[in-house]
Amino acid sequence: MCCVVVKTWMPREAASLAEILADARVWKLKDASAAPARPVWSTGRSSLDARLPGGGWPTASLIEVLLEDTGLGEVQLFLPALVACQGRAGSPWLIWIAPPYEPYAPALAQQGIQLNRLLVVRPPSATEALWAAEQALSSGVCAAVFLWLKGTDDRWLRRLKLAAEAGGALGVLFRPERHRYESSPATLRLMVSKGETEAPHLDLLKVQGGRPGPVDVGDP
Amino acid sequence: MRGRTAKSRTADLFAAVSAPSMAAPARAVTATQLATVSAPAARPRAKQLWYAVVFPELPASAAAPVTLQRLCMHAQTFTSFVSIEAPNALLLEIRGSVKLFGSLQKLHGDIDACWRRLELAARSATTPSTLAALWLARAGKAMHGDDAGTLPAQLSEVPLVCTAWENETLQTLRAMGVTKVGELLRLPRAGLARRLGSAVVQALDIALGSQPAPRRAFVPKERFRARSDFETEVEHAAYLEKALEPLIERCARFLRGRQAGVQRLLLKLRHREGPATEVTLGLASITSERGRLMDVAVQKLTRLELKAPVRGIELISGSLRPLSAASLDAFAGLTGAAGAAEGRDTAPQLVERLRARLGEEAVYGFCLIPEHRPEAAWRRVRELRAPSASEPIIDAEMPRPVWLLQEPLPLSKPDILQGPERIESGWWDGKGVARDYYIARRHHGAKLWVFQERHSKRWYLHGVFA
Repeated sequence: MCCVVVKTWMPREAASLAEILADARVWKLKDASAAPARPVWSTGRSSLDARLPGGGWPTASLIEVLLEDTGLGEVQLFLPALVACQGRAGSPWLIWIAPPYEPYAPALAQQGIQLNRLLVVRPPSATEALWAAEQALSSGVCAAVFLWLKGTDDRWLRRLKLAAEAGGALGVLFRPERHRYESSPATLRLMVSKGETEAPHLDLLKVQGGRPGPVDVGDP
Repeated sequence: MRGRTAKSRTADLFAAVSAPSMAAPARAVTATQLATVSAPAARPRAKQLWYAVVFPELPASAAAPVTLQRLCMHAQTFTSFVSIEAPNALLLEIRGSVKLFGSLQKLHGDIDACWRRLELAARSATTPSTLAALWLARAGKAMHGDDAGTLPAQLSEVPLVCTAWENETLQTLRAMGVTKVGELLRLPRAGLARRLGSAVVQALDIALGSQPAPRRAFVPKERFRARSDFETEVEHAAYLEKALEPLIERCARFLRGRQAGVQRLLLKLRHREGPATEVTLGLASITSERGRLMDVAVQKLTRLELKAPVRGIELISGSLRPLSAASLDAFAGLTGAAGAAEGRDTAPQLVERLRARLGEEAVYGFCLIPEHRPEAAWRRVRELRAPSASEPIIDAEMPRPVWLLQEPLPLSKPDILQGPERIESGWWDGKGVARDYYIARRHHGAKLWVFQERHSKRWYLHGVFA
């Protein structure tokens, strides 16, 4: 199953589909179920896994999470993936940059995070936070790098994405909801908002190689 | 006659029959006892080999300790473990060096040659036990062997004066007619301990290698200090990098030679007038690696704004710390993603780079404290730790929030989802708490960790389930 998107130009006298596909100007959108080259980490929720290409959070890419409020279970979404990627040999470090509150260590240990492989960075400004995130992502030491920011520009996001691709880490950027309508180079954009029920309301704004739209996350 | 032989034959027969039936179990018991008793003691005996050297002509003056320290540095070319025995002797642990120098005879000879080159009168001996080596060296019996079994025989002729015990003890022993170690070894231990104190018996055990005697290694109290003066004044911090490189290189070589590392370096930038600019270079773990030292220096220098042109630089190391096997292990554990193999960063390097730019306090980790009060159940830690299995176990009765507020915030009674969980603790240190914790929810929104103070009945917000 292959979906074809033809950009700006269409050959009138195209004899066959094969000819069109052979044209370099034709950009092929990969099938959503195709497994990506990099490993993915399960989100711990089957309904969400099913909607993500490869069946989990993609590594070596930037994930952008837009938050309506703090405390909607946004970190909880990633904790199963963090535990899984820490268990992998080699690069077990987790780095959290500029979290809004103090991470509560006993809670993280309770969920299975190795605390002696978790570092918190408190940079004095947003620019320094972005610099630190870029360093951490590209170092190849970290399994995951989380960054909380009020605002940043497109250029920095692109740098972060490149750094994540170089280092192979799971890069997650948490931003307020107001950046929803700005363009973003992130591989995955996810909106977390308040819901009627206890579970947060998730909306996939952008999924490279997948289908955007709201996700119904019930119990894991 | 016939009767006697018959008798003796039966006696022999009896002995032959009884021996396997009665003596064998007894022998078995002693064998197992030996195995269990001597196993821990046998291990250090097999592992360590001590070379003792005594300098009889070393003047007993105030300068003697300094001279000994200087001799220690000579000795450190043969082994990393050198220990000072006041007032005039050194002990070297040379087990690890034997292979490097070919054989024990050769190593022993090489060390002896070192003292001869220094034109020092020296007497030496090598045995598996510290005290035996020392006593033999004092007695002038130059012997070297790594068989602990022959120690009693070797020590038997050593005069008791060589033990350097207190005069009172030696006088008592002389009055008893005991002047040699061998004679002392023949006396019953219990009586010896009663008359002379347990220290003497303990010393004998150490000398015979049946009891380990840990010693303190000599670590030179020196610092690396090197300076370089410029012919022209340097106005840009970026140019300082080039000038600093040879100094860092020398520092790394200096540290490697001493099997030591540093966690702190001080860089002084001297100006034509006014005080020198001081830049502290902090490292995440003890290191002697040139690359890591340089990384931190470059990171600091690029951030530096020079207030005046620089005429010269000076690099001073912090106190030297031994690069122990443990620190190397921890270091290997800290290396991420096969970092060294791929030429990528290691975790300490990343942390150093972040700290060099953001400040020492900006990067930290956590450790748990077994404590019920949420605010006291953890603390920040600065040093990187090797993975350990000894983290306290968390009881998972009620979920805990990912975020914790620095100070509980007062709030009005929220919508309760779950609870209560009573936490009542800390009456002994004046920060006692008596709280009922609940999981609550802001209107259609955030999940909160709240508590009601039991005495005041007031509600507080303490955490957020993110």
